[in-house]
Amino acid sequence: MFEFLFKYPASVFSRGQFVLLGGWPVWLLGLGVVAAGVALAWLLRRSPKRLTGRRPAVIWLLQTLMAAMLLFLLWHPALSVATLRPQQNVVAVLIDDSGSMAMQEGNTTRLDQARGVLQSGMLDRLRERFQVRLYRFGAAAERIDDLLGVAGAQPATRIGEALQGVLADTATLPLGAMIVLTDGADNTGGIDRETIQQLRQRRVPVHPVGFGREVISPDAEIVDAVIPVRTLAESRLTAQVTIRQHGLTGGKSQLTVRDAGRVVASVPVVFRQQDAPLAQTVTLTAGSAGVRTLQFTLEPLPGEVNAKNNAVARVLQVEAAKPRILWFEGEPRWEFKFIRRALGEDSSLQLTTILRTTQNKFYRQGIANAAELEDGFPARAEELFGYAALIIGNSEASYFTREQQTLIREFANRRGGGVLFLGGRATLGDGGYAQSELAEMLPVRVEDRKNTFHRDPAGFELTPQGLDSLICRLVDDPAANAERWRKMPLLADYQEVGEVKPGAAPLLLLSVPGRRKSPLLVIQPYGRGRTAVFATGGSWRWQMSQDAGDQTHEMFWRQLARWLVSETPGLVSASMPKTVLSDETRVPLRAEVRNKEYQPMADARVEARIVGPEGLAETVELTPSPHEEGVYAASWPALKPGAYVAEVIARRNEEEVGRDTVQFRREEGVAEHFRLAQNRELLEKLAEQTGGRYWTPAAAKKLPEQISYSEAGITAREARDLWDMPAVFLLLAGLRATEWLLRRKWGVI
Amino acid sequence: MNAIRAGIAASAALLCIVGAAYAQRGGFRFFSDEDDAPMPADAGEKTEFVFARLRYPSGRFWGYAGYWTIDYPKADRQFLQGLRRLTRIHARSVEEVVSLDDDKIFDYPWVYVVEPGHWTLTDAQCKKLREYLLRGGFLMADDFHGSDEWEVFMASLSRVFPDRPVVEIERSDPIFHVLWDLDDMMQVPGIVNRPYFRTYEKDGVEPHWRGVYDDQGRVMMGICFNQDNGDAWEWADDPTYPEKYASQAYRMAINYIIYSMTH
Repeated sequence: MFEFLFKYPASVFSRGQFVLLGGWPVWLLGLGVVAAGVALAWLLRRSPKRLTGRRPAVIWLLQTLMAAMLLFLLWHPALSVATLRPQQNVVAVLIDDSGSMAMQEGNTTRLDQARGVLQSGMLDRLRERFQVRLYRFGAAAERIDDLLGVAGAQPATRIGEALQGVLADTATLPLGAMIVLTDGADNTGGIDRETIQQLRQRRVPVHPVGFGREVISPDAEIVDAVIPVRTLAESRLTAQVTIRQHGLTGGKSQLTVRDAGRVVASVPVVFRQQDAPLAQTVTLTAGSAGVRTLQFTLEPLPGEVNAKNNAVARVLQVEAAKPRILWFEGEPRWEFKFIRRALGEDSSLQLTTILRTTQNKFYRQGIANAAELEDGFPARAEELFGYAALIIGNSEASYFTREQQTLIREFANRRGGGVLFLGGRATLGDGGYAQSELAEMLPVRVEDRKNTFHRDPAGFELTPQGLDSLICRLVDDPAANAERWRKMPLLADYQEVGEVKPGAAPLLLLSVPGRRKSPLLVIQPYGRGRTAVFATGGSWRWQMSQDAGDQTHEMFWRQLARWLVSETPGLVSASMPKTVLSDETRVPLRAEVRNKEYQPMADARVEARIVGPEGLAETVELTPSPHEEGVYAASWPALKPGAYVAEVIARRNEEEVGRDTVQFRREEGVAEHFRLAQNRELLEKLAEQTGGRYWTPAAAKKLPEQISYSEAGITAREARDLWDMPAVFLLLAGLRATEWLLRRKWGVI
Repeated sequence: MNAIRAGIAASAALLCIVGAAYAQRGGFRFFSDEDDAPMPADAGEKTEFVFARLRYPSGRFWGYAGYWTIDYPKADRQFLQGLRRLTRIHARSVEEVVSLDDDKIFDYPWVYVVEPGHWTLTDAQCKKLREYLLRGGFLMADDFHGSDEWEVFMASLSRVFPDRPVVEIERSDPIFHVLWDLDDMMQVPGIVNRPYFRTYEKDGVEPHWRGVYDDQGRVMMGICFNQDNGDAWEWADDPTYPEKYASQAYRMAINYIIYSMTH
């Protein structure tokens, strides 16, 4: 319609520049319009058919507009627009050859439809105007001479990389435009900013032609499954699984997690809301040390279009390490005994304690050698930072020197460890923490007053965050877990602390009759580490007031301790964004290297020894990141599907600083079963960002004509007349018709 | 006249029986040592550690109270003075009497039992004591001597733990080193041994420090056999009671307490 009225497509108007081709000056046009207006006013006044009221003004306005319009046309309005010179420019035509294009759409496949669009005259018409380069793409673009080899068999779609490939291939050519025939089912989730920038720099408009349904129904798909990359042996962990469905509202399924075929967790799934992603939490136990490939499978529902997107795999590294926890306790307490027992029976943790039994004596347990902690609480970073977590028991802040207090803070902030503060008669508010260096790292505000500690039984309740937290997960089922917490025995004592700081999460609240609810267990991230407060010294009653076989006390403390240590990094900390590469080959490796005081180490030599399938063994050097001190990175191609192990080793002056291991899997033929619906949003965005236009297959036949308007390649500026636009004629006719109708209505014809 | 005498004697006997029975339940004590161990001003303080004394049925009487009351309360309070002075344990100045007949005992993870050579625990009490110890409670048994009393002691204990042996605690065990290194220990005599030329009672010539361990190798019960640490605490302020015995009795019990709060 737009084109019918205005003669040219909207893109010509958006790209073109308005000009007046008549040789006369513009001021003369203005003068002419004024003169016409005056003359028309004079004529109206002299007219024998006198009009009254506002009527002469309306008629004068219509006549003046008509005169102005005619004068404007005499000045020859036109659009100056850049157009591609015939046969001097290259147009790249990219056809998506990935597996998703083989999907059936009615009687044909998406690929057949795309081939049909090209072969029904589009290619011929393009060739009449341009030099056409044909490409097929999946993970990358490949130039082809014809469409014979396009079969929809490539295992991945990466539009961004394909566009970059074509840009590189035509770097020395006048590339005028790109036409991309695709379903937009990109496996990387989008087109990276770098590709868009390159396209904009070369002013190459991309014209996507979208194929396929925008909604696939009925279908359910596991969009993502998020699990920790690594965990300690026998740890409980949660997996956040996101499921998207269409046309299955009200349906029920079962989400199962398998490790080497063995079911390790299974939860029912009910699709309650149409089109809304469903977040499902699954709790499972890591098992013994080793690498697990966990398979998340959603049981297919009857009639599902695609059952292959109901399963994803994730790699979990279960570490054999036994992180060390240091507990400093100011006086003998029952809490000390029972927590030691609970953690002592955890084979994945190593608890070292130092207890002030008398004014001048320490009792050390769990020490590695006689010299360890001989002088009491560590005063040097090298000594303290050897532990992965700290528990500060019932001890006044003033017991620690200012340097030790700073060290404790840096233990969480710089070293990345976990620090837990317990309640007691001589700590937190009563212990002068409010005025100490430690106040800042606490997840609660501590009041600077005495008598905050009470040896009276105290109840407590689970907060919504507590219900979600693994620390407080005594039973897998959330409702049963909440009920279990309600039945827990009272604490022997409690301590009042102030409000929870912003960013901290209260997991348990104290519930004491006659007192306002105050935080009991609060956790927060702090710097590279994490801190927590457990405002009581009386959880031992959970052990002594329940059956000897009851494990809730042990379970709570082990889960809290594992939270403290689980993410504490070593001197060398290797990572990668994903542990399962679905038809991706590039492996971005990253390593953070620190010295013994956990300061970033910028002058290390870092390499990764990669062992892969079929006896693959390779060494890759990681180079320092220019943006972050102590960070080293490398990108490495994992070409063969299978399991890989990358051991990252950092050295300085030939002396080993540390090492870390990351494990990952590369899968093939998986990605194309996901995100099968046409991603029109992505394609429209691509067109908009590059100055192109999104086309439906039906509208694409006009594309060869309209593709000429481009700033890229070899262009010529052309003036396109506007005077003969149908819209102008209609406007003129409309003005005259309006005047005639009004005069007729008023009876003054 | 004989009838009057008989009536008086019967009334006196009845009074003794009722009184003793009441005392057995912890209500009050005739001829107690309360005068020697007055109630401290801070007796009501809420503390971390409370010296819990186990009340148990003994089937016989000593004086007018049960065997569980021996040395009570002076020994307890005098020992607590030492515990408070020598360690950082926040301890109450007075004892607490607990029994195996209710669940209050679970709030006191350390319990002292005196003269268990006379205890006659019921099946329910045996079950409660086993549960108490398996949950993490600690029991220190003291002041019983000779093979006869050991037999009585074991008659109940074997019903508490039919499957766990009573063993000698090695000197290397942490319980003897947690605060003081108690490598060389002697027999601590009771007051009946005054003037202490002989330190044993009955045929209990050799002192023994025995124990019952849990599955993780931790001492659940510290059994001080053929010795009388309670008397040593009680008479520690008596110039005639040798300091060396009192000193050892304090050290050993404090070690037991700190051990029970750390293992």
